Amino acid sequence: MNKHFARTILTVAGLLAGLAGASAHPHVWVTMQNELVYAPDGAITGLRYNWTFDDMFSAFATQGVDAKKPGQFTREDLAPLAKENINSLKDFGYFTVAKANGKKIELKEPTDYYLDYNVKDTVLTLHFTVPLKTPIKTKELNLEIYDPEYFVDFSFKDVKEPVTLAGAPSACKLTIAKPQEAAVPPGQQLGEAFFNQLSAADNWGAQFANKISVKCP
Amino acid sequence: MRIVAGGRTSDTIGQFGFLLAATLLVAALIDAALVHAALAQGTPFGGPRPGTAPVPTSGIVGWLFAKQAEFYRQFSGLIRASKADGSAAWSLMGVSFLYGIFHAAGPGHGKAVISSYLVANEETWLRGVVLSFLSALMQAMVAIAIVGLAAVVLHASAATMNGAVNWIETLSYLLIIVVGLRLLWVKGRAFIAAARDLRRPKAAVGAAVTPAAAVKAAPDQHDHDHGHDHAHDHDHSHDHGHDHGHDHGHDHDHDHAHCDHPDHDHGHFHGHHHDHDHDDASAWGHAHAPEPEELAGPGGWKRGLSAIFAVGLRPCSGAILVLVFALAQGLFWVGAASTFVMGLGTFITVAAIATIAVSARSWASRMASARSGYGNLAMRGIEAAAALVIIGFGALLLGGYIVNERMVGF
Repeated sequence: MNKHFARTILTVAGLLAGLAGASAHPHVWVTMQNELVYAPDGAITGLRYNWTFDDMFSAFATQGVDAKKPGQFTREDLAPLAKENINSLKDFGYFTVAKANGKKIELKEPTDYYLDYNVKDTVLTLHFTVPLKTPIKTKELNLEIYDPEYFVDFSFKDVKEPVTLAGAPSACKLTIAKPQEAAVPPGQQLGEAFFNQLSAADNWGAQFANKISVKCP
Repeated sequence: MRIVAGGRTSDTIGQFGFLLAATLLVAALIDAALVHAALAQGTPFGGPRPGTAPVPTSGIVGWLFAKQAEFYRQFSGLIRASKADGSAAWSLMGVSFLYGIFHAAGPGHGKAVISSYLVANEETWLRGVVLSFLSALMQAMVAIAIVGLAAVVLHASAATMNGAVNWIETLSYLLIIVVGLRLLWVKGRAFIAAARDLRRPKAAVGAAVTPAAAVKAAPDQHDHDHGHDHAHDHDHSHDHGHDHGHDHGHDHDHDHAHCDHPDHDHGHFHGHHHDHDHDDASAWGHAHAPEPEELAGPGGWKRGLSAIFAVGLRPCSGAILVLVFALAQGLFWVGAASTFVMGLGTFITVAAIATIAVSARSWASRMASARSGYGNLAMRGIEAAAALVIIGFGALLLGGYIVNERMVGF
């Protein structure tokens, strides 16, 4: 018995460990309606997110939350939960990778947030604004939203404009790309550069990234 | 696996190999703990969540992954529909069953630990299947118990349930390590004993020429030198008892200085060597590694139960979400039934994998038996390695290197 033996063990363990890492599939689905907020001088100041969770997760999250009227949670009822969510999201960088001209942008803690509950669909929506550490004027802004572990699946809300620009200079052009979507919106070209720049992480979740790009001349 | 034959070299290297493997695993464990501490991060929307692991993006695993997600997404609609229409409950059961099969087929620690356990423990196919069934059943029951107790009885929040699951998860990983360590203790010694058996014939020659008095005189170092020094000292055997005893002391010191200097384990291995001398009923005699037949005996079930307990303790994240959702719809029992059916699906997959593990082992065993002495050594080696794999798994899971399944963790 020798080093080969030890190496064999470690190799096998490593192999199995690698395989075991693949066990997760999404357990939470988020549909997003996002807004990029601009200052009057044309600098982007923050990201206003409205994330709606799927009904199963919403039921789980609201388990044990007391409502004055059963099953009808108000913002006040959900305030402690919202706080918890925002705190946890911080550790994940709000699932957002933001870059200006290819350089990473720092984000700040949201101060403005709340949860509301849609009684008809029994789903929760988390509304929050993530401010940029320093507002920035940039020719090219790229955002990627995804969970590297793909425990959470993000997608744009199925509306005409799931992403909007609030107060951006009129010359700015917005492009969005859904995950694994080869099709480029008509009349627009997503250059190689767009995707190359967004090499935030070569991990599993990245292939499910939702991409937002804003170009200002 | 390469086996170095021949007296002293094989012995020293063999022990070294084991020490190395054990040391590396301990190092990995400590490393895992440190990295985990450094990366310690919460879960979005509450609850802890360990680091990431790379994941295959395509192929079979990718397909399994897509299927699971597909079935999983049907749960909420079917549970809702069950409220108005009883037949939807049947569809729910069907989807739960398929989800269980696919979910367990995707890589996960349960199968890996159970398979390694079966390999390490020389279990039969039937027992492999029974253990798979019990672990799947236990997983389902734990999920129902957590949601039943926390949500139905205590009206606890999601955060509380997360906390409970995380606590149980840690306990489960620790138990996996304990099960692995225990197996390693048994199998590692069986392996060392097998390694020694290979040299036994030579040692026996030495013993024959050694006066019994000399054995008693220096019981501790005695047989150590025996096995090894024989080649050296053979010509001395003429000199007889007297000199022999002397040689012992001398040779011993010698070895120390030359060969085994780097590691300090000399004393330890003396013990092992000594224990091989069945003739005296010292404490070491008791510590002799059990024979395979003893391990497969009735006590084996108890050990098996500890393994399924360790594995089955951690509930499936999907099951908990389904249960809570069903509860919110006022259909807890539908959720509970779905959880059991998921467990049934899981059982089928795990049993299939267990069958592969048991077959692989018996194949290896047949191969090994064709090679007399070394075959036995190889089998003991495989068993010890399987025990190490279990420990490694427990450590990696505990350290957050393997993302098991981000529970509720949200």
